Amino acid sequence: MKHRLTSLIFSCVSAVCVVQAAETADEKGYVTGSFETNTNYYLEDQLTAATVPDGNFGSNNYLKVDYHNSRFTAGLQLENYAPALVGYSSELAGAELTNFNVDWKDEDFSITAGSFYEQFGSGLLFRSWEDRAIGLNNAVMGARLTYSYKGILNMKAIWGAPRFGMAYSATQVKGADLSFAVSELFNLRNTYVALEGSVLDRYEALNTDMSIDGCSPNTTGWSGRLNAESHGFFLKAEYVDAGQKYYYNTSYAGEGQMYYRKRGNAQLVETGYNGHGLGVNLSLRRLEWMDSKVVNDASSNVNMLNYVPALCTQYTYMLTTLHPYGARTGEISSRFTNSGEIGGQLDVFYNVRRGTWLGGKRGMKLHANFSTYHTIAEEGTFRSGNLLFRDISVDVEKQWTRKFKSTLLWSYQEFTPSYGASRTTWLSNIMVADLLYKFNSSLAARMELQYLVTFEDQKDWMAALLEVSFAPHWSVYAADMYNHGMTKVHYYNGGFSYSKSRTKVALGYGRYKAGYICSGGVCRQIPAYTGANLSVTMMF
Amino acid sequence: MKTFLLSLAALFVTVAASAQVPSVKVENSKGESFDTAALLEEGTPMIISFWSTTCKPCIRELEAVYEALPDWLEEVDFRVVAVSTDDSRQLAKAKSFAEGRGWGSDFTLLFDKNQDFMRAMNVTVVPHVFVVDAKGKVVFSHTAYVQGGEVELFEAVKKSVRKK
Repeated sequence: MKHRLTSLIFSCVSAVCVVQAAETADEKGYVTGSFETNTNYYLEDQLTAATVPDGNFGSNNYLKVDYHNSRFTAGLQLENYAPALVGYSSELAGAELTNFNVDWKDEDFSITAGSFYEQFGSGLLFRSWEDRAIGLNNAVMGARLTYSYKGILNMKAIWGAPRFGMAYSATQVKGADLSFAVSELFNLRNTYVALEGSVLDRYEALNTDMSIDGCSPNTTGWSGRLNAESHGFFLKAEYVDAGQKYYYNTSYAGEGQMYYRKRGNAQLVETGYNGHGLGVNLSLRRLEWMDSKVVNDASSNVNMLNYVPALCTQYTYMLTTLHPYGARTGEISSRFTNSGEIGGQLDVFYNVRRGTWLGGKRGMKLHANFSTYHTIAEEGTFRSGNLLFRDISVDVEKQWTRKFKSTLLWSYQEFTPSYGASRTTWLSNIMVADLLYKFNSSLAARMELQYLVTFEDQKDWMAALLEVSFAPHWSVYAADMYNHGMTKVHYYNGGFSYSKSRTKVALGYGRYKAGYICSGGVCRQIPAYTGANLSVTMMF
Repeated sequence: MKTFLLSLAALFVTVAASAQVPSVKVENSKGESFDTAALLEEGTPMIISFWSTTCKPCIRELEAVYEALPDWLEEVDFRVVAVSTDDSRQLAKAKSFAEGRGWGSDFTLLFDKNQDFMRAMNVTVVPHVFVVDAKGKVVFSHTAYVQGGEVELFEAVKKSVRKK
């Protein structure tokens, strides 16, 4: 019945598009779309106890089609998990027409019916988005209205049911976001000042236990924001009251409260300066009970209705991502209670100009980073407790000749394996050399050499990567990550990619370590696996 | 589903016009709301490059374009629009990063923090570049980057001008 209904809806949408296109011969509109597949074939590997699913096969597939005609847009997305790749949420299964929408956009207003993505402010109060790398899609099925008045006022109003897994949940969200550009009102030319605010109400029918305990099915939160920029200096500040949250009392034994009531709140300040080749960015943030789920009674890494990323450097080199940090939004367990995290990050980017003593003939790029995050020592205060994560890093990029460029990175990382329950931390120092040599205009080779020093966990690691590219289409690579401190296991992989116009095909084979894949600060736990991967992305 | 697929096929047959730059709200360097439809107002060809701070090939491609741009502009008049797809986690950093690379002086920098523009252009992976002609039509599109790929990109820009 559900399939029939969605088919009927989209037949109607497509028919409307076709009729409209036919009626306006000069303005037929156009269709665009994309297709993506990530397909793995898994093999047994006793050395790493690799996960092998039934059928040795996993495949995530996405087809997206949009039709545009002047101010009108219609879109849909089909997803097929046949079955999902290992490590993805178990809710992702089968084939569904998951997202569909129609939009009408005028100069000042727009209206959307169907599934849509939206974000209020930094996303601490509310964000719906898609991230295929971690299997997250919490698009809202409902309606959205936006209105803009001369660039001074920008308003958004939403209502709908967020998606969880392959279907839209019974949870309902309704909210509004307002941005008032004060500087536009007073016609300030070199200064931008905006006062912004959001409100969000989330409704979900309570389970029996929560009803008995007097919990409310509605959670209403709000945020207030300041956004200012002048002559390169910027300041962003946000206060969030995320409303009442309920945390299950793991020590409940028939007496007292089954659920703890907590008030979600967050404070974020971002400030700095961008200009004259210098970029300085300081972020300070405190989170307390900021967990916000699509569905209360489901545990999944993609069950989220807001965006609380780790504000620290997101590395891409193999050994720098062995222990990625994920923000702590508050937890209550029999082990310990921590209401959230407090900390900050400082980033400095500097472009050393050509012709200077330090820059030489071709200039040099410098970057330094410091971030530190702690538990909250006492709930409701700004007192910091045990260290959760600390990172200090410096990287230098230098173009030596027309053919040779190097990037050197040093990162000192310290994190707690107990999520802040104890003071014990693990330290590691990571060094990376990233070297690029261009033989001619179409042939280049890139090599990464990496080393991690630590006295904890599995002790020292080393890694290397060699990539050879033949412009504009081909690239081949081979890499190995080796734990010579304890396990003596090689995590090797290699492959090639071919890209032409709007299509990219990549085929790889290797052994992959258990750990986390993080994207945008949200992490997906993946088990160890060995096998081949085919990845195809196409756009039309 | 069969009916739907048939309708979809009909849609493909009926519509054959070139893709354009859709109207989507993103941010500029100041944090102001910016409508991407305004990119077409200048009436000159442009490269639109989708990138992120965590995408090394994206950065290598934009660096290559940045290095070659003075020479390219002697031959053809066009613009480069660099669209950061970094979300609010990396947004402030993306602005500082771009400034620390000197891109702010030569590129139009836009920030697509919830990837609305990226989705509207049907970009699934970065880097992805488009060449848009003076009339606003997408005349070239390429996903991924290997060192030296910027030569093909510039050929597409020159071709778009010749078409004009």
